[in-house]
Amino acid sequence: MTQYFAGIDIGSTMTKVVIMDSGIISSIIGPTGPEQRRLANKVMEKALHEVNIPFREITYVVATGYGRINVPFADKQITEISCHAKGVAHFFPEAKTIIDIGGQDCKGIRIDNGKPVDFVMNDKCAAGTGRFLEIIADALGIKIEEMGEIGLEGNHPAKISNICTVFAEQEVVARLAEGVSLHNLVAGILESLANRVSRMVNRLHVAEEVVVTGGGAKNVGLVKALSDKLSYTVAVPPEPLLTGAVGAALLGKDIADKTLKDGVSLETKERSLKEIKIF
Amino acid sequence: MNEKNGNILTKVERYYQEYGLRARELKDQGQKVIAYLCSLVPVEIITAAGCMPFRIRGDVHEPITKGDTNLETIACPFMRSCFDVSLKGRYDFSDGLIIPHACDSMARTYSTWRYSLGLPYSHFINVPHTLSASSMEFFIAELNTFRKSLGRFAEKEISDDDLTKAIDLYNENRNKAKALYEFRKQDPPLVSGAELAKILIVGMSLPVTESNELFDEVLQELTQRKEAPCTKAPRILIDGACVDNIDFIKLIEDSGANVVADSLCIGTRDYWPQTDIGGNPMKALAHRYLDRINCPRTYREKAGDTFQEDAESRFGDIGSLSKEFKVDGVILYVYKYCDPFGFEVPARKAYLDSIKMPVLYLEDEYSTGTIGRLRTRIQAFLEMIGS
Amino acid sequence: MAEEEKKEVRKKRRTATKAAASIGPMVKESIGGTIRAKQEGKKLAYTFIVCLYDEILSVMDIVPVWTENYAGVCGAKRDAERFLERAESLGFSRSLCTYALCGLGFDQWREKLGEMPPDAPWGGQARPDMMLSSGQILCDPRNKWYQAAQQFMPDVPIYDVGLPYPLYEDDIEVADVQDYYIKHITEELRGLVTFLEKQTGKKMDYDRLSEFVDLGERTWNMIWETYELRRAVPTPMGTGDAMNTMVPMVFMMGTQQCYDFYLALNKELQDKIARKEGVVEDEKYRLLWGGGLPSWFALTDFNYFNSKGAVFPVETTYRMIEPIYRLNIPDTNDPIERLAWRWFGYWTYWYDKAKKRPGSEPDVERLIQYIEDYQIDGVVMHEAFSCRTWHLGLIWQLNQLKKIYRPIPVLILGKDGEKTKGKRELPSLILESDIIDISSYSEVDTRNRIDAFIETLEQTKKNKV
Repeated sequence: MTQYFAGIDIGSTMTKVVIMDSGIISSIIGPTGPEQRRLANKVMEKALHEVNIPFREITYVVATGYGRINVPFADKQITEISCHAKGVAHFFPEAKTIIDIGGQDCKGIRIDNGKPVDFVMNDKCAAGTGRFLEIIADALGIKIEEMGEIGLEGNHPAKISNICTVFAEQEVVARLAEGVSLHNLVAGILESLANRVSRMVNRLHVAEEVVVTGGGAKNVGLVKALSDKLSYTVAVPPEPLLTGAVGAALLGKDIADKTLKDGVSLETKERSLKEIKIF
Repeated sequence: MNEKNGNILTKVERYYQEYGLRARELKDQGQKVIAYLCSLVPVEIITAAGCMPFRIRGDVHEPITKGDTNLETIACPFMRSCFDVSLKGRYDFSDGLIIPHACDSMARTYSTWRYSLGLPYSHFINVPHTLSASSMEFFIAELNTFRKSLGRFAEKEISDDDLTKAIDLYNENRNKAKALYEFRKQDPPLVSGAELAKILIVGMSLPVTESNELFDEVLQELTQRKEAPCTKAPRILIDGACVDNIDFIKLIEDSGANVVADSLCIGTRDYWPQTDIGGNPMKALAHRYLDRINCPRTYREKAGDTFQEDAESRFGDIGSLSKEFKVDGVILYVYKYCDPFGFEVPARKAYLDSIKMPVLYLEDEYSTGTIGRLRTRIQAFLEMIGS
Repeated sequence: MAEEEKKEVRKKRRTATKAAASIGPMVKESIGGTIRAKQEGKKLAYTFIVCLYDEILSVMDIVPVWTENYAGVCGAKRDAERFLERAESLGFSRSLCTYALCGLGFDQWREKLGEMPPDAPWGGQARPDMMLSSGQILCDPRNKWYQAAQQFMPDVPIYDVGLPYPLYEDDIEVADVQDYYIKHITEELRGLVTFLEKQTGKKMDYDRLSEFVDLGERTWNMIWETYELRRAVPTPMGTGDAMNTMVPMVFMMGTQQCYDFYLALNKELQDKIARKEGVVEDEKYRLLWGGGLPSWFALTDFNYFNSKGAVFPVETTYRMIEPIYRLNIPDTNDPIERLAWRWFGYWTYWYDKAKKRPGSEPDVERLIQYIEDYQIDGVVMHEAFSCRTWHLGLIWQLNQLKKIYRPIPVLILGKDGEKTKGKRELPSLILESDIIDISSYSEVDTRNRIDAFIETLEQTKKNKV
């Protein structure tokens, strides 16, 4: 009988769900928003609907991400550190370093055989996260999705001296008024972000292969800037936002397999996705 | 459960939540209360003077407001919190303030503390940093200066006999505290990390005789405990400075671990070293506080030729504790702006690596505002060592 | 001109004296000198400035490598970031002393490469044969930095010299404790000599040491007299220069070169005073740099003050001398004892005076003395985030100064509409950034604060009765 495993990754900006059997059969990405609990239900329902599988047939559900404690139907909560490690190793068995650049935080993880051995996190300030890019994109009047391509065309990246997001925004607007080209400004911003991220990541012993995940991985200009700064080629998974959820689902499978091997019963929550009343 | 013993932990809870309650009561009865910061203050001398030593604590739930108007923020956040709550009058039953030369954050703010609190008595104990024979002699002289000074304020000449008696009481106190640790050795431990921390912290807020009584009652209670209050989980040792609020310890335990050992200023660093008896009491005190207490602020000359040998000499006590309490992982918890520990982080980590002990290094503020960030890191660490 | 083609043009820093201008090359020579000395087989020692044993090192022919200074050079050249980041990558917190972070990052890199890091400023920092830490002198990093560095250089021995001084207490006189302090300091210095003899295989020449200590004492007097010349109106030299001219004081005390430098500076200042040549043509405000190490990458801020007519005739930072004849050094032929007394006397210099003024403290007393002697209009402090040693207590000092010292006569408007004579405190300013870490510095913000302060000074002048 096919076993299905679900992983749900509630990030500060985006919520991701995958359903897997031996591979990914369904995946949904949606904005998190303030009502994480209700959304978690909805996103799971959507994912199940895609492949026409009733919730009760899911063998195990693992929740991860910053909002993982708000998923009452999850059988287990595991940190995004462990889940990203597992997920990335699934796509890149040789991976040794993961850099996750999310909406509001960024992390570096050193892994060995899919298991994390060390990690660093920055969840204290916006510089080094997607939020930084959002604010700058806004200030420059461009779409954040376009930033990567625009940045790639900047041959002389402007030197942005301020590390604080608020001051960087001021600096960027001032430089634009001075006549610096948009391409070079964006390239400079991406370089500045790459510097911040690599500064954090260098606290680990960075080793190849290096894989970038999260929203930041979809920004080609950022990936290049990061690669230049670290002096390593940086790989990007096919869908960089899903590695956490994939890892969560796979860790769920590991737990199920282990209980089978140990001959104990698998403890799960009630398979119900009815709306939770928030008191 | 014996009703009398059931009350002891309730009593502990009360003294922990209303920290300073007993000191205030005693002050109202005419006792002189001498407040102090840090484990390097020889409380024996204060007790020998007929005064009650009271250890100042910070409050992670209290945002620092008043403190910042008079003191820079680029200092140890623990010290700043202590300063802030002191300014807010939490310890206004104090007659005096003693600050040792533990670190820059303390030494460089002595004037600020003194003038801001305006207490009738204050003293700075200039603890030396090195362990030469000359340092020890200097420290004895410095402690005698303190003895004379405090004696003048307390209007009591502190005799060697007074010191000897106080030393005996505190040695007893430390023996009892160490005995409490025995209950951590089981798997799962018979006393949780948060519970024990409360007991040890409360112990520092009472006169030593009452602290001894309290520990006795707790020991009795624990001896009768058949069931552990926690389940089997990874066994953690916390290495750091002054973790005087249980919130951090509780966070670790709530994340799925048992805190079974520590190298903290409210734990083994302070409570385990004994004072020698039988010789000159001031000499013995100098020896205990400068040498026996293993704190990074005291410079220990390099042992051996290699870094490994030196690390073993400096941090070996953590290794021993790890073995004795069957520790699975160490959390190295350092406050931001802490120089003594901050400079040692790579060395401590390298030592723990060498004994194959997984370590999580956390740099933190002194506030419950960081709990969310800490939770993820701690949980990730526990996941790492759990597999 | 497109931004990307414009080269970054930083204003060159101007000094008021030739003496200050000569320091840059002197420091560069000193650093290059350590590298040459190493090649010649001389013994090198990592050490800290204001260590008390400059003369001892000179006599034993040990070449000091001033690690804080090298970090300062990296900072001034705005090339410290890569070393700071390297230290961070090793696990050191960015909140630690940035001199130490710079040094640790540099050293570990040098050890890893087996040679100087690429493009090391001014040739780099030479590998030492020994490291001299300081327990008690001034700061925790002096006690922990080299021990941390020893992890990458386990073959380099450390000697930690304990050199304490008593803090100011209401109920204790300096005379009560000086005997055991002096005894300890003397013994620690002797221990250092023993260590150095072992490292070099040479014996200390105490006669020669006496000569150096003697000259050192005369130099202290010379420096004091020279700096006191800055009392003149207009002042011939400001703190910006003093941040340079402190170098011989803390690099080569006891040497003829050091003495001659201050003798030349003395003459230069006297000449300027005779010609009524001040730091600025139109001297409007005289300021006291009341505390804090400067931002080594932003010394041009002093020129910015100057451009507004503000000068700094006096500072507490790096004024590491007092007149010897006021230090009560007893008659002794033992140069080690003389050093101990010099040290103790310097650090307790203001204690007796402070006792005479209610609410005063030695640091505050010193501020008051300088305000009066140098006719000061306002006080500036600098908070460097990574240095607890010199930057904790500055807020308190200013507050206390305001409480106990109100020298400016003003008219105060009472509730009834009547104006009465009153006294107010001096205007003050606190700048914030760091000694080395430029990311903490905002030029725009700093200049705004300075501008606002100048306006305050102007208003105060106008309202003076």
